[in-house]
Amino acid sequence: MTDRTVLWLAQAFYAVSCVLTLRRLRAGGSGATLQRLNYAAMAAGFALHTFFLYLRGQSDGRCPLTNLFETQAFIAWAAVLFFLLIGPSYRVSFLGAFTAPLVLLICLAVLILPIDVVQAQPATRSAWVEFHAAIAILASGAFALAFVTGVMYLRQERQLKRRQLSSSFLLLPSIEQLDLIHYRLLIMGFVMLTAGMIGGLVSYHIVGHWTTPKIIWAVSVWLLYGALVLARGLWTLRGRKVALASMASFVFMLAGFWGVSLLWP
Amino acid sequence: MNLIVIGLNHRSAPVEVRERLAFAEGRLGEATRALLNAAPLHEAAILSTCNRVEIYGLANNATEATKAARRFLHDHHKLADSIDAYLYEHHDHECIQHLLEVACGLDSMVLGETEILGQVKDAYHAAQQAGATGVVLNRLFQKAFSAAKHIRSSTAITRGSTSVGTVAVDLAGKIFGKLGKCTVMVIGTGEISGVTARALQSRGAGTILVCSRTHDRAEALATQLQGRAISFDQWPAEFPVVDIVISSTAAPHPIVTREKLIPLMKARHQRPLFLIDIAVPRDIERACGELESVYLYDIDDLEQIARENMTAREREIAACQVLIAQHRQRFATWLESNRAALEERYRNHVVAARPPKPAHTHVS
Repeated sequence: MTDRTVLWLAQAFYAVSCVLTLRRLRAGGSGATLQRLNYAAMAAGFALHTFFLYLRGQSDGRCPLTNLFETQAFIAWAAVLFFLLIGPSYRVSFLGAFTAPLVLLICLAVLILPIDVVQAQPATRSAWVEFHAAIAILASGAFALAFVTGVMYLRQERQLKRRQLSSSFLLLPSIEQLDLIHYRLLIMGFVMLTAGMIGGLVSYHIVGHWTTPKIIWAVSVWLLYGALVLARGLWTLRGRKVALASMASFVFMLAGFWGVSLLWP
Repeated sequence: MNLIVIGLNHRSAPVEVRERLAFAEGRLGEATRALLNAAPLHEAAILSTCNRVEIYGLANNATEATKAARRFLHDHHKLADSIDAYLYEHHDHECIQHLLEVACGLDSMVLGETEILGQVKDAYHAAQQAGATGVVLNRLFQKAFSAAKHIRSSTAITRGSTSVGTVAVDLAGKIFGKLGKCTVMVIGTGEISGVTARALQSRGAGTILVCSRTHDRAEALATQLQGRAISFDQWPAEFPVVDIVISSTAAPHPIVTREKLIPLMKARHQRPLFLIDIAVPRDIERACGELESVYLYDIDDLEQIARENMTAREREIAACQVLIAQHRQRFATWLESNRAALEERYRNHVVAARPPKPAHTHVS
């Protein structure tokens, strides 16, 4: 069994989670059993996902972040990690319902597209390089979950504004709760991204290898999220606008990742 | 051997009749024992709420037992006129079906309401304590409770609020989450605004401010709600701390306008604001609802949501009936397979009520 097969298997569990969510919505959201099953499916997917990263790390001989396929799979893994941590502790109902499809989308895209190619790695190796990359990826996972809570926020907010309440309205969390979790995820992501940026500076000094587009992209992502955290902290931006800005930032980050990796490999 | 139910509810009898037949809550056990003495029943339980009075029982002879139960209702409440026209009765399968429907709230005035299950539980416990229930009713009631739980969790029969006050509470919950930190301002002292404020309070809303053009009325409502009365001109000053506004004045023109609200929203850092306008003509300009983080609902909006929720519950009746039929069948099968043993047990034997337990009951 190759490591890619393991990742495919993980997708099967994420897909099961999506189906369970639909069933739970149809059952009116009650059904604690379905909720536990859903969490178990996500956890099983996560375990396989972790196993995939482990196998890949073994064969790479380093942290599995050597090409676009690996980094995207890692981001999706980090998003599930944050879901597993945040979903139960904040009792955010249906957070998994919105996380699973995003994770599934990213993973299926990288599994199907021919981007899993061996790329030349810098000869000099340093723990800093791997720390820098890994923590930046974890930050992306937090931003991915911020994107998810942003989508949920907009959905709830729109229904409240339009006074048209669908049957799922009462099942999703309140907009204030979503706003708060969203903000906390942004802070967590930003702190990790900052650590990643510092790690990047240090590793540049050690490895001495860098590409200009990647740096421009990384700095703009950092500035974007920094401005967003600041604006939300100072109340210049609130609610809907924060959700929209965060979602746009995540899309920019992800698109930039693909663009930079494909154009300047 | 037959299961019987005989009683009346909000559909079969007007409130004037229902109130005369109601049993006092603390005296249900005593009444159940009196019933066992008056009617040839092996087991019995009395359910008495503001919308229904029902006697459940197990009898050797249904005809005799129901006749005696009717007489008991009549005599116990010392009625002058006949109440036969208001009473319905169901036997065996229909009796099981009826109890299941009652426990699930399908027979309630507000379809799917959940309070009734607690009332059925109380009725059962009172009868059990009085020693009036036995193998059959114990099992029937237990099965009804678990059926109600099952039906509640696997259908949407209890979902969505069906009154203006509770719809407002649901909306507040979906905006603010926990209401503990929310401050509610009541402008005007109409009845619905009091009800709505109380509903919010029962869900944990923190501070309540009341303002009215008539200060005395503001004071009166504030006292009732354990809130604070403020003078009518003061409301904009208090606004920065307010999260929920319930407005119901008799003013001919809007009190809260978009122009007034814009600077107030800035002062409260665009924190979400829930405006509930139950006045006609309306107190809050419709355009306020277009502002960022402002959620405005008027009486029509709330009533429409309540109606839609009720329609959604009505659509669930069929699904509930399917599950009820399963539970009914299961109980009927059990009863049938134990019929011989039960008949043997109850042959020539009418369960006399157990001697009262001194701690809980009184001798009638």
